Amino acid sequence: MSLSIQPYSAEQPVNPYLDVDLYDPDADLMVLNLGPQHPSTHGVFRVKLILDGEVIVKAIGYPGYLHRGVEKLCEKLNYSNIKAIIDKNDYISPMINEQAVNMAFEKLAGVEVPRRALWLRSLLAEFQRIASHLIALGTFGLDVGGALGGGASAFMYCFRDREMILDVFEELSGCRFHYNTHCVGGNRHDVPAGWDRMVLPALEVIEARLDELVDMMVNNQVFVDRTQGVGVIPKNLALGLGLTGPNGRASGIDCDLRRDAPYNAYGEVEVRPAVRSAGDCQARFLCRVDEIRESARLARLFLAGLPEGPISGTKPNKGPTSVKIKEGRCYVGLSTPRGELGTYLIAGGNKGLSPYRLKIRPPSLHHLASIPYILPGNNLSDAIAILGSLDPVMGEADR
Amino acid sequence: MTTAEKVAALTGTEVQELETEFVVAPEHHFALAELLQSEGYTFYITVAATHFAGEVPNKKNPEGSPETFQVATVLRKPEPGASSFACWRVELAAGEPIDSLVPLFEGADWQGREQFDLVGVVFKNHPDLRRLMMPEDWEGHPLRRDYAIETAHPPWR
Repeated sequence: MSLSIQPYSAEQPVNPYLDVDLYDPDADLMVLNLGPQHPSTHGVFRVKLILDGEVIVKAIGYPGYLHRGVEKLCEKLNYSNIKAIIDKNDYISPMINEQAVNMAFEKLAGVEVPRRALWLRSLLAEFQRIASHLIALGTFGLDVGGALGGGASAFMYCFRDREMILDVFEELSGCRFHYNTHCVGGNRHDVPAGWDRMVLPALEVIEARLDELVDMMVNNQVFVDRTQGVGVIPKNLALGLGLTGPNGRASGIDCDLRRDAPYNAYGEVEVRPAVRSAGDCQARFLCRVDEIRESARLARLFLAGLPEGPISGTKPNKGPTSVKIKEGRCYVGLSTPRGELGTYLIAGGNKGLSPYRLKIRPPSLHHLASIPYILPGNNLSDAIAILGSLDPVMGEADR
Repeated sequence: MTTAEKVAALTGTEVQELETEFVVAPEHHFALAELLQSEGYTFYITVAATHFAGEVPNKKNPEGSPETFQVATVLRKPEPGASSFACWRVELAAGEPIDSLVPLFEGADWQGREQFDLVGVVFKNHPDLRRLMMPEDWEGHPLRRDYAIETAHPPWR
């Protein structure tokens, strides 16, 4: 008996709970553990693949190798201490992670954030989005094949360009990675003098080099063969799984919280999210390319329009106990490079100094939940391309 | 009839605004998700379970209070230009299961498993209810309020 499994389509969905007989001598199936330490899993993520020859029959995902109990720790920490460990969740875009929890705290505490801080937060978020997508594009090139023209070299080019954004952040906050620059009620670091002379050339260089990168990869026939029509996620499956961000938009979900539920300063500018309908690996890649261009445009707008005024609405923190929220509960979502990062907060733990429950909705975990559906029916080599195109960050998926 | 009115009619509770968390009886949980999905709330966002430790009888609270769980679910309406979400919670007694939303939303699979693993809420009709984050042979549910951070465990491999 030979199993014929077709890749997921709306007409013929894949059953992720398929019962397979591993000891059937006629089927001759093989179990292969991809990961946890495999470069294509972008961290420590294990997929148990059941193979029929080279075709995947069933895929079972095992996250949790990087589980650090962040939500449990948050129940013990004071509000102003939490963002320092939330930074480490999505370690590719820490700047936006801090904002997510701060937005929830500000909403429940009723703290007004000055307009300059809102614009500065949006500006920093757009820079972080560019840096994060550059990593996604570069590592995807590596996944698809270092031997291709535009594999390992694209990876190096992307990291070189990302370095400029890290320099910009270092100039602002003193840190290259875990910034800790947002606080409840505003920001801690104002823009240093002459910052724009550093920022604008960086944006120009990145945009110019992005065209080269696209030439190298999208116009490469080998890259097209390996990504076009591979790992298609139909729109309905993407909605049910909760695929947000570029992964969802590549499947035709026209939803971007920056435009549809504006926070920070996004209500004051026009945001044009990149939406594609193909839903394959190439569409996800191209969505990220378009988002870098859009982010560069937005970053210029935010820099030009940065209003004058105070940077924080509250007095400087005298101690870790200065933020107190007696009670309340809320859900706040914002758009990170990966998708909707939600914070569900129940206040009132530890006499109002800590959250009673803080649940983080990591977009990466939802993206990884799609692999039991989209891997079966594909070749083993395509599994690497699909995993890479989802751009998961295990730090936030496992927390 | 607006969506909020339909929700109010179904659940028998007063609902002003879907974005402000409202309480729903456990038996209406699945029907409410079905209704909201047909109303355009097709985007599965998240589920968050919370444990409330009970109190033993004491001076302030001579009766004591039992241990309870709350499970909040968030769905989003992906409408270009104005996206909104619906957030409701179900209050459960200890050991009482809640309907799983896997027949409606594929994403409820792993999210439900995570909450089962960390908080210990049991989801009815879940096709594959196993631990997601913690090792398979872990004892206890770490996100419960009575689970101390300092709880000692033998080193995990």
